[in-house]
Amino acid sequence: MTLLRSLAALACALLLPALSPAGASAQGKPVTIKLASFVPEGSIWDKNLRQMGDEWRRATDGRVALTVFAGGQQGEETTVVSKMRLGALQGAALTVLGLSQIDLGFYAFAIPFFYESYDELQHVRAALTPELEKRLAAKGFVLLGWGDAGWLQVFSKKKISTLPELKALPIYTAAGDDRMVQWYKSSGFEPRPLAFSDIPTALATGLIEAVPVTPLAALLLQWYRTAPHMLEIGISPLVGATVVTQKTWNAMSEADRTAVRAAAQAMQERLRTEVPEQDRDAVTQMQKRGLQVSAPTDAQAWREIGDRFAELMRGTYVPADLYDRARAERDAFRRTAR
Amino acid sequence: MIRRLRAAEEGLAALALAAMVVLPLLEIAVRRLAGVGVPGSQPFVQHLTLWVGFLGAALAAREGRLLSLATASYLPEGAPRLAAGVFAAAIGAAVAVLLGLAAGELIAITRDAGTIVAAGVPAWATQLVLPAAFAAVALRLAWRAGPPPAARALAALGIVLGVALWWAGPKLAGAPAWPGLVVLFAAALVGAPIFAILGGVAAWLHLVGDVTPAAILVETYALSVSPTLPAIPLFTLAGLTLAEGRSSERLLQVFRSCFGWLPGGTAVVCAFLCSFFTVFTGGSGVTILALGGLLLPALLRDGYRESFSLGLLTASGSLGLLLPPALPLIVYAVVAQVPVEDLFLAGVLPGLLMTSLVAAWGVREGLRSGTPRAPFVPRVAARALWEAKWELLLPAVVLFALLGGWATTVESAAVAALYALVVQTVIHRDLGPRDLWRVLAECVVLVGSVLIILCVAVGLTGWLVDAQVPARLLEWTRSHVESRTLFLLGLNGFLLVVGCLMDIFSATIVVVPLIVPIAVAYGIDPIHLGILFIANLELGYLTPPVGLNLFLASQRFERPLLVVARAALPMLAILAIGVLLITYVPWLTTALLSLRAAP
Repeated sequence: MTLLRSLAALACALLLPALSPAGASAQGKPVTIKLASFVPEGSIWDKNLRQMGDEWRRATDGRVALTVFAGGQQGEETTVVSKMRLGALQGAALTVLGLSQIDLGFYAFAIPFFYESYDELQHVRAALTPELEKRLAAKGFVLLGWGDAGWLQVFSKKKISTLPELKALPIYTAAGDDRMVQWYKSSGFEPRPLAFSDIPTALATGLIEAVPVTPLAALLLQWYRTAPHMLEIGISPLVGATVVTQKTWNAMSEADRTAVRAAAQAMQERLRTEVPEQDRDAVTQMQKRGLQVSAPTDAQAWREIGDRFAELMRGTYVPADLYDRARAERDAFRRTAR
Repeated sequence: MIRRLRAAEEGLAALALAAMVVLPLLEIAVRRLAGVGVPGSQPFVQHLTLWVGFLGAALAAREGRLLSLATASYLPEGAPRLAAGVFAAAIGAAVAVLLGLAAGELIAITRDAGTIVAAGVPAWATQLVLPAAFAAVALRLAWRAGPPPAARALAALGIVLGVALWWAGPKLAGAPAWPGLVVLFAAALVGAPIFAILGGVAAWLHLVGDVTPAAILVETYALSVSPTLPAIPLFTLAGLTLAEGRSSERLLQVFRSCFGWLPGGTAVVCAFLCSFFTVFTGGSGVTILALGGLLLPALLRDGYRESFSLGLLTASGSLGLLLPPALPLIVYAVVAQVPVEDLFLAGVLPGLLMTSLVAAWGVREGLRSGTPRAPFVPRVAARALWEAKWELLLPAVVLFALLGGWATTVESAAVAALYALVVQTVIHRDLGPRDLWRVLAECVVLVGSVLIILCVAVGLTGWLVDAQVPARLLEWTRSHVESRTLFLLGLNGFLLVVGCLMDIFSATIVVVPLIVPIAVAYGIDPIHLGILFIANLELGYLTPPVGLNLFLASQRFERPLLVVARAALPMLAILAIGVLLITYVPWLTTALLSLRAAP
C-alpha cells in the first residue's frame, strides 16, 4: 500500500511540472532564471551559485528565482550558449571557452604566460570590464560578475622541467578548436585533441602524457594519480563569468536588477579569495599523496614561447584593440607594483 | 533525371562516409611522417558524421527503412490498414517538418554567432543538411503512404500540420500536454517511425512548455558532432563489409570445425558467429538479416526443432552487444561521459557470459534431441582458422590500437573500416569496386536509421533535464529505497519495462542521464552500470511490443510475429539469468579493468 502511494507520489512529482503551465502570468512578472554551470554539484562554485540564488530570492521578495543546472547537465559550453541565444536558458556560469563563443574579447584572459599573478589579472580585468560589458550587450547578454576558476599548471606522467621536455610529450588539447591545434603543432608540440571525458583513459594508455589543468580540478578528478608530476609554470588563469540574457535582464525592475547584480558581485569577491586558497591547498593535499612538484629551469624559453603564442593570438583570437589595452594595463600595473 | 538525382544523393552520402575513413588515417600517417597533422581533420570528421547520419536518414526514408516500434500488420488488410498507414505517415511528416523548421532557427543563430568548424568553413553551412534531410523525410513518408493518390494527399496534410504547429508555436504555451502525447502514442502503435515519436514528444513538450523546439536541434547538433560518435559509422562499415563478403562462410567454417564436435554443435556455432557479427553491426538487426538466411537452413538440416532454431537466431541477433567495440557501448560512453575504452574492457567477460549461456542452452538441446555431431579434426580446424585469419584478427587490431595508446577510438574505428575493406577487396577479392559503392551506400542507410533516432532522443533528454526530472527521481529514490541490492533489483525491473517500450539507442540517450546520478549515490560504478544497463536492454530486443529482433526475425524467416515471440521465450529466460549475474557479480565487469590498473 505504501509502495503504491509512493509510486503515485513519484508519478505526480514527475508529471505535474510537465502538465502545469510554465511560470505564472505576465502581471506579477516573477522571473525564473534557468542557469547552466559546468562545475560539479557541491563544489565551491556550485555552493556559491546557490547562495547567490538564495540572496536573489530574499532581496527581491521572490520576484527573481534561480534554478541551477550543475555539472554540465545542460550540455557543453557551446550548447549552453546556443540555448541562451534561443531563450531556452536565461543564464550560465561560463568559462573563457563559452564566453569567447559570445565575444572573442574574453580570450584576453587566456593568453598563455601573459599574467604573472592574480593581482595583475584583477587589475587588467577591472580595466577591461566596461568594454567587455558593452560588447556583450551588443550580442544580447549581460555580465553579472566574474568568477575565478584557478590557474592552469601542467600535470604529466614523467617529471619535466624544461620546454623541450614538454614538447616531446603528447599533450591534451580541447577537441573542436582546430586553429589552436595547428599552432601547437607548428610550434613543435605534440597536441592530441580529445574529448574532455577521454582524458583519464588517454592518460592511462599513454595516448597523452601531459595535460594542462588547475590543481583543484586535478585533485577533484583524481588525475594526479596517473599524472603525478606537476610543473609549476602557471600557464594562464582560468577565468569564468556569470552572464544572463538581455531579455531576462529587461524583464526585471530597476531595483531588482541592482539587488541581483549586488549578489553576483558578492559572489565574485568570495570566489576571488576562496579559489586561489583552495588551489594552493589542493597542491599540498596532492603532495601528501605523492605528487611531485617541480619548477621550470629554463624560464627564458617559456617566456619566448609565451610571447610567440601571444603574438599569434593578437588579432586572431583576441581583437587587436583589446589585446593592446590588456597589454598596456598589465605593463602599467607592473611598473607601479615594482 | 530522377534516377540521376537518386544516384547523386547516394553518391554524396557514400563520399561523405569514405571521407570519414580517409581523413583520420591520413591524420595518423601525416602526423607520424611530417609531425604536422591534416588541418581540421578531426572537426571535419565529426561534421561528416552529421552529414552521413542525416543523408542516411533521408535515404532510409526513401527506401521505407526508418525503424518503427510496431507495424500495422495486425490490422485487417485493406481500408483499415491503409488508413493506419496514412495516419502514421502524416504524423511522421508533421514531426519531420516541425523539426526541419526548428533547424532553420538553429542555423540562423549559428550564423549570427559566426562559428567556424575549421579552415574557414562556417558551422551554419554544415547544419544545412538538417532541414534538407527533414524535408526529404517528410515528403518521402507522405509519398510512401500511397500508392493510392488520395492516401498520399491525406498523408501530405501532415506537412501542413507541421507548418501550422511551428507557426502557432508560442500560442501553444501552457496548453495541456496530454492530447499531443495521446496522438503520438497512437501513431507509434500503427507504425510511425521511432524518430517521429521521440522527436514529436520532445517538440510537443517544448511547445507547451513555452520553449522553442529549436532547443532540440541544438542538442541534435551537439550530439551528432561529438568527438566519439564518428566511431559508429566507421565500425558499422567494418562489420557490413565483412557481412557483404564471404567472411560469414569462412567464420562459419571456423566455428563449425572448432565447436561442431560438441552436442548441439551447430547451435553453439550460431551463438558465437552471431555474437562476432553483432559486435560490429550493433543492435541494428543486421545480424539476423545477413546471417539468418545462412543459419536457419543449417540448423533445420541438422535436425533442430524449428521453434528452438527460430528462438536461437532471434536471440543471437542481439548477443555480442557487450563485446568491444559494439555500438551500444560507444553510445553509453558518449552519454555518460565515461572513457569508452574502459567500457570495452569491462564488457568482455559479461559479453562472453551471455554468449556462453545461450551456447549452453544449445548443448542441452543437442543432448536432448540427439542431433548429429561432427568429429573434431585438428587439421580441418587449423585450415579453417588459417583461411579466416584476417577476419579473426580484426577485433585484435582494434583493441591493440586502442589500448596500446596508438590511436583514439575514432582513429581505430577508421583503421578497422580500412582493414575490413582491404581484406575483402584486395586479399580475398570478395568485393569488386561496384560492390564497394553498394556497401558504402548500404552502411549510410543503416547508420542514418539509427542516428536520426539518437539525435532527436537527446531533445527529449533535454526536456527531462529542464523539468528537473533527474533531481526529482534521485530525491524520491533516496527517500524510498534504502539498500543497494533493493535499488539494483528495482533498476532491473525498471529497465525491463524500458526495454519493452524503447529501442536500446534511444533508451540509452534518454534514460542514462536519469539513472547515472542515482546509481552513483548508491555507490555503483558508472562503468558497471553501463554494462548492466546494456545487458538489461538486450532483453528488450526480445520482448513485445517493441522487440526489434522479433520484427526482423518475423520478416526474415517469414513467420508470424507471435510464433517468433513464443520461440524466443526460453532465450529470454536464459538471458535474464545472465543479466542478474552481471548485475550482482560486479567482479565480471571489474576484473579486467583492475588487471589493467595493476601494473
